[in-house]
Parts: sequence; structure tokens; C-alpha cells
Amino acid sequence: MTLAVTLEALTNTSFWISVGVLAGTYAIVALGLQLNTGFTGIVNFGQAAFMAIGAYTMAILVLNAGFSFWLSLPCAVAVTMLFGVIVGLPSLRLRADYFAIVTIAMAEVVRLFAQNARGLTGGNQGLFCDLDNPSNCYTNAWRDLSDHINNFVSNFWGDPDSLFPLLLVIWVTVGISIFLLRRLQRTPWGRVLRAIREDEDAAQALGKNTLVFKLQSLAISACLGAIAGFFLALNLATVHPLDFEPLVTFFAFSVLILGGIGSYRGVAVGAVLFWFVLEGTRFIDLPDPPFTETRIAAIRLAITGLVLIGLMAFRPQGLFGKREEMVLGE
Amino acid sequence: MNDAASNGATLLDVEDVVKRFGGIHAVNGATLRIREGGISALIGPNGAGKTTLFNVLTGFYKGDRGSVTFQGEEILGDHPYEIARKGMVRTFQITKALAAMPVIDNMMLAARDQPGERLRNVVFRPRAFKAREVQVRKQAMELLGIFNLRDLADAYAGTLSGGQRKLLELARALMAQPKLLLLDEPMAGINPTLGRRLLDHMQGLRRELGVTILFIEHDMEVVMNHSDRVIVMAEGRVIAEGEPHEVRKDKRVIDAYLGNVAVDNAAAGSSGG
Amino acid sequence: MFLGMEAGQVAEPVPSAMGERLKESLRRPWVAAVLVIAVIFLALVISHGLHAVAQTGLNGLSLGAIYALGAVGLTLVYGILKLVNFAQGDFLTFGAYMAYLVNVTWGMPLVIGIFWAMVATALLGLLFERVLWGPMRAKHAGFLQLILMSIGLAFLLRAIIQWFWSTDIRVLDVDTTSTVEFLGLRIGQTQLIVVIVGAVVIVAIGLMLRLTLLGKRMRALSDDLELAETAGIDTRRVINYTWIFAGALAGLAGVLAAATTNLRPELGFELLLPIFAAVILGGIGDAFGALAAGMVIGVMTEWSTLVIDARWKTAVGFLVLIVVLIVRPQGIFGKAKAI
Repeated sequence: MTLAVTLEALTNTSFWISVGVLAGTYAIVALGLQLNTGFTGIVNFGQAAFMAIGAYTMAILVLNAGFSFWLSLPCAVAVTMLFGVIVGLPSLRLRADYFAIVTIAMAEVVRLFAQNARGLTGGNQGLFCDLDNPSNCYTNAWRDLSDHINNFVSNFWGDPDSLFPLLLVIWVTVGISIFLLRRLQRTPWGRVLRAIREDEDAAQALGKNTLVFKLQSLAISACLGAIAGFFLALNLATVHPLDFEPLVTFFAFSVLILGGIGSYRGVAVGAVLFWFVLEGTRFIDLPDPPFTETRIAAIRLAITGLVLIGLMAFRPQGLFGKREEMVLGE
Repeated sequence: MNDAASNGATLLDVEDVVKRFGGIHAVNGATLRIREGGISALIGPNGAGKTTLFNVLTGFYKGDRGSVTFQGEEILGDHPYEIARKGMVRTFQITKALAAMPVIDNMMLAARDQPGERLRNVVFRPRAFKAREVQVRKQAMELLGIFNLRDLADAYAGTLSGGQRKLLELARALMAQPKLLLLDEPMAGINPTLGRRLLDHMQGLRRELGVTILFIEHDMEVVMNHSDRVIVMAEGRVIAEGEPHEVRKDKRVIDAYLGNVAVDNAAAGSSGG
Repeated sequence: MFLGMEAGQVAEPVPSAMGERLKESLRRPWVAAVLVIAVIFLALVISHGLHAVAQTGLNGLSLGAIYALGAVGLTLVYGILKLVNFAQGDFLTFGAYMAYLVNVTWGMPLVIGIFWAMVATALLGLLFERVLWGPMRAKHAGFLQLILMSIGLAFLLRAIIQWFWSTDIRVLDVDTTSTVEFLGLRIGQTQLIVVIVGAVVIVAIGLMLRLTLLGKRMRALSDDLELAETAGIDTRRVINYTWIFAGALAGLAGVLAAATTNLRPELGFELLLPIFAAVILGGIGDAFGALAAGMVIGVMTEWSTLVIDARWKTAVGFLVLIVVLIVRPQGIFGKAKAI
């Protein structure tokens, strides 16, 4: 049995670009989780629902309501944030473990809705283009912009990969998000969030209306979720219920933990590391029997599981988290 | 009733407050009055409902019945943060230092009127809160200086000793500019030296800042020497209220509280003899 | 003026008479719960007839038995170890595949398969207690740390199952076609067996928890681990038995679920949320509550198909979960503890 790493595959740019797109998308998802879990102490297991609502609202507004793609984006963000507030208003009063369970149940209700409200969401077919008018797809406006970007890029790089513009836009978004979140964190507002993470009662005893801060934290996370949802929808060119399973949230938590609780930049590194390791397994040339495709998928799942278990057992602050700010241990 | 402590106006008026847990009446019709400017001690045997009463007064528990008037305003049923903003600030029996935050952040968190705590201002007027932040930091450093914690300003609160945490919590509560400070066993679990310093601070605060203090304490010596009014609770009710020397002689107090001690002493005496 | 007076008059008597009665019923919320269920039952009987309600209710019992068995272990572990075990669903899956191994691969009777599934899953529970949960407790791990670890464990278990049995849909060697008829109701033979096995085991668990010393200790630990420790209970032993208990029942629940539907690696994870719903509805740590709540959610889920399209029925458990947590987080059957 030979375990050869195919060199040709390793230099396959378009593959690595697709991995980069995935990593960037998850970085945005996990940045929201960092704000919630790492800096506010609320364990949000419903992030996939925010992605779903963002992506579906965008697609529905474009395909059914005739919105322009660019107008649909802020509208979808607004809808998702509103949803976050509505969900948070009753549930953020709950204990942290209850909140975690409520949010995962909420996410599953959203996914079931997407699966079953066929008239609106296309059910298990998903949403991609207007069926009566196949040339009207929600990706059209993006494709145009993407071509423009690549036309420009081709001045420097002969034949740029078709996913390159998406990679660029996603990682610029990641960079801007990290910059803004870090600035937010250093304001008095961010200080109150950390106080809530440490001890909500103490924050209340000092006159802070903690529910409002937690709602704002959740709403910002919902905004990031929606943006990640857009990128997912543009990457896959379809919005489908199976892309918003609880697994997505759990993967994002793995990214978060890998990067380290309490570090926004760590999240970006965690996302790259997580997806490059996971997708990199594709290049270890394993002989088909016994390594069938489902078995390789199983190995990837096992790696994720082991990473989670190992980090929680031996390095709960993650790779880049501060030990002093380790909020998981106590 | 027309003794020394009745000089000030009534700051806190607690009338017939009841708090039940299931069938148990943890606080069962507590009535008391705190006047401006004094240091009052709340004493009573274990399970008398002292901490529960604190929790009701500060909004952490919802009272089932009664009325709590603070500065002439009904506050029973208000949220804890509303009560804190109105000027009644508490500390906790088990210190709540925000361990993974530096000491200075603990202090600055408690400041009032920081526009930078509003997301709207943070996003649209990022410069507006900077000036206030400078003020707050200065104030925080001054207070830390008074409490001998200045050198530890940048240390994580989690690295402080138990006594230092108690001091930090008191200093932090003062940052919130309270009118009435509720301290739940401020002396518990700290060494005598720090304890004495804390007591001195309490006396100083009353004199200089005009802060009214109500504190729960078990050490009778501390209570007798450092408070000018004593409120005694037993079985969820206030059974006596007065100056320390009066309360000490009150028969109901001796029966309900000091009485236990007397009985214990008698038992110890008889077994010894 | 007039309106003002009227409002004043109305407002007065409310807190005294009505309010007291309302408070009284809230103090015994399970009475209120039974009333709500009775009202739903009557409303459904009136609108859809007794037969339809009984038929769907019967289906609900087999689903409810699976939820209840899955929930007992989860609630005890949650209550005793403060561990929100997201791997519980994959314990069910593991049990189901263990039965498949014996029943289909080795061609032995299902009874042996069930027995082996229970033993193997119990051992699995014990194994993870030894290598993961015990050491993590010693490190005073926080709740999020434990949750994320249990999610990692869930991934690992699912990966192992997927490695050996792939993602193909498989079935146990059970009779899925013959049905039994009684009182005009029709039920699949397998389903009937599930209901009977479920009922017997649930009664046995109830008796065991109420009558045996071990059961009492489990409940004592679930109330307050530290108090039980100071009261001189050998907590380690009880914790070990709790895992054995939780594992065996999860294994059984998994086999029953596989027998009534089919086997796939996501089997258990799909059952996890309704099981969580049962745990929370029943009050965390309350084994009897979890049993009752599991049955209630199972029956409600099937009853819902009378009113709404069957493809929505999975949402019932989630909605119950969300509503209960928001209205009464300590659960319907749980004691009114401070949350």
C-alpha cells in the first residue's frame, strides 16, 4: 500500500482557491460566534439559522420580489438581525445551557421550514434561478462583478480562476470584520460585554441592562451569519436546506476553538487551518478499497471530532487564545 | 426613635416585604428604615433571610409582597440595573471580581454616564466617549490609590488575593457613585489587617462622600464598634432596630440571636465544669 | 371618569381570588399540563373522531417510548454530571448498529441483538466516563468545554459507524408488513412490540429508581452532587452505574428506533433534539419527568399529523422545547428550583 501525496494536486490552484473560499466563509460565521461565545458568554448554537435566513431572504427577494441583488443584501441583513432580536428577546433571559439548546432547536425549525415551505423556499430543490425565467438567477449581478474583477486581475495573472473574485471579496470582508470587531471590543461597550461573560449578575449590579447588550451581540452575530450565508449561496450557486444543518454551526465552533476563544484574529487562522487540514486529506492518495469515499468522509469527521476533544482536554484556550482570558475552564 | 441616627431624611423604606421559595418564607414581612448618612449593620442568625432581603432590595429576587421605597420612589419589582442606577449599589457575599478582566477595567466598567456603552454612539460618534473615558480612568486610578490597589491596575482581577478582591469590589461599587451601599459580609474570608483597612474605608466613605452604608456582618465586635445602627433579623422578620448598645440589651434579640450564644456558652461552661 | 372607576373596580378582586387559584395551579404545573393535554385530546376527538385520535396516539406511543428511553439517561447524566451530552444521540445510533451486527450480519435473533446493543452501549458509556468525563471533572471543566467535547465525541462516533457501515440505509431483520388489529385499531407488529417493550422497561426503570438504593442514590446525586458526596454516598460508583444505565437504555432506544424505521448514521442525531425536549419538559435531572415528557412529546408529535401535514411533525418536539424553555424553564414535571 502506497501513501503517495500527489504533487500535481498540491499545486492545483483552483482547488486551493475553493478551500480558501470555504475557510473565509467559515471565518465570518465563527467571528459571530467569537463575539457571542468568546466575548459575551452566550453559547449560540443557532448560527446556521442566521446563515439560512440571510441566504434565503436574499434569494427570495431577488427571484420572487424582483429586488436588485445589491438592494436585497442590506434587506436580508436587516431581516436576519430582526430575527435574531426576536429569538433573543425571550431566550437570552435563560441560563447558558438552555440558551444553547433553544438556539439549536430554533435552527432546526428554520431548516425544517426551508425544507417544507416549498412555495417560498423551493423545498428540497433549493433556490437558484427563477423557474419561469431561467436567465434570472440571484447570482447574475455577482457574475457580472466577478467578471469585471477578473478582467482587471488578468492584467497581472494570465488566466485567473473563476472563484478568485469571491475569494478576494470574502477575505476582504473577513479583514474588515476583524478590524471592526476588534475596535468595538476596545470600547466601553465591549467592556460591558466582557463583564457579562464574566458574571452577568455583577454587571447588572453595576447598572448595566445586560439583556440589551446580549441582544446587540446576538444581532451583530446574526448580521455576520447572514453575510456568510450570502457567500455560501454565491459559492454554491444554490440555496439548499441541507447546507444549513447544525453541523455547519458545529464546524464553525471547531474553527472558533482551534483559533482560540477570545481572539478575533485567531478565528481567521483557525478557519484556514481547519479547512486546509480537512480538505488537504483529499490529496493523500489512498487506495480505494478500503478507502472508499464515505470512509474518507468518515475520517474527516473523525479528525474534526478528535480536534474538538483534544483541544477541550488539553488546550481549551485554543491555539491563540490568552490563558488569562480563558473563559472555558472555570 | 428620636436618637442620633434620625437626623437624615429617610433614604430607604422597606415595608412588610415577603419572599417565598415554594412554601418557605425566606423573608416574612420585613420592615426597616435606613436614614441618610449612617452605617447600619444587618445581623441575625443563619437563615434569618438577610441575604435574601438584600437580593429582594436590589432586584435580584422578585419580592412577593410589600413595598421598598428608595429616595421616595417605589423600586420593588424594578430590574437590578435600574435599582443600581438609582443609587443603590451592592456587593456580593461571594466576591464577583470579573476574573478575566484587568483591575482597571473592573473599575471603569462601573462608571456612570459613559456614552460609549451605547452601541449607537460607538458606531456613529466614536470620538464622543473618549473624553469621558479619560475622566473615568482618572477617577478609577484615584479610587484604586485609596484602596492600595493602584499598582495592580493592569493585573487580571483573577490574580488578586481574596482580600484584594473584596477591596476591589468595594472600590468598584464606589465607582458607580452610590447613595446607599449594600455590603454582603464585606469582612468574610479576609485577613484582619485587610479587614481593618476595609473598616477604615467604610468610616471614611461615610464622612467624605456621604455614602450611606448597610452591611451584613456576623462578627459582633465589628458590628458594635463600627456601626451606628443595628438591625436584627430572625426568621425572615426584623425583630429589633436601634443603636448598638440598645440592641445588645434588647430582650427579643437576646432570645432570638444572642440567646443562642448564651445557651451555647452555658452548655460549654457546664461541660467544662 | 366612569371608565376609570370601572377599571379600578375590576382590578381589585383579581389578585385575591383568581390570582391565588392561578398561582396554586402553577405550583403544580403537571396538573396544568394534564389539563392542556386533556383539552387537546377532546378537541381532536371532536374534530377528527375518537378512532383517528386513538390510532395516531398509538403510533405516538411507540415514538414516545423511544424518546422516553433516550431521555432518562440523558437527564440523569445532565443532572448528576452537569454534562449536556450531545453524543447521546450517537449512543442510540451505536446501539442500533450493534443490534444490526448481531441480527443481520451474524443472523442471530433480534432479542440477542437487543441484549448485545444494551451491553455494548453501556460499556461505551463507561469507557468514555473513564477516559473523558471523569478526568474532565477532575480538571473542573466548564460547561461549554464539556458540551463541545461531547459534540466532538458525537462526530467521532458517527465517523466510526460511517467507516464500518457506510452511509447506506439498512434495516433490521424484523417483520415490517404484518399488522395487529384490536378494537378497530391497526398497529404494525414491530411497532406493537416496541410499545410493549418500551412500557415494560419504563415501568421497570420507574420501580428501580423508586425502590432500589442505587436508584435513590442516583436521584440524590442528580439533586445535588456535592451534598450527596458529603452525605457519604460513594459517588464514583453511582456515576459509573448511571453511565451503564444511560448507555443501556440509549442502546435499547436506538434498536427500537431502528426497528420501526431504518438504520443510517444520522439516526440518533435526528432523535437528539426531541429527546432534549423531553429532558427539559420533564425537568433536568428528573428521571420520572423525562419518561412522562418523552411519551407526551411522542404522542403530541403523532397527534399533530391530524391537524398539519406530516412533514411538519418533527417541528412539534422543537416547538414544545422552545415554548417550555421560554415559559417555564424548570420544566413541567420538574420541581420549582431556583434556576
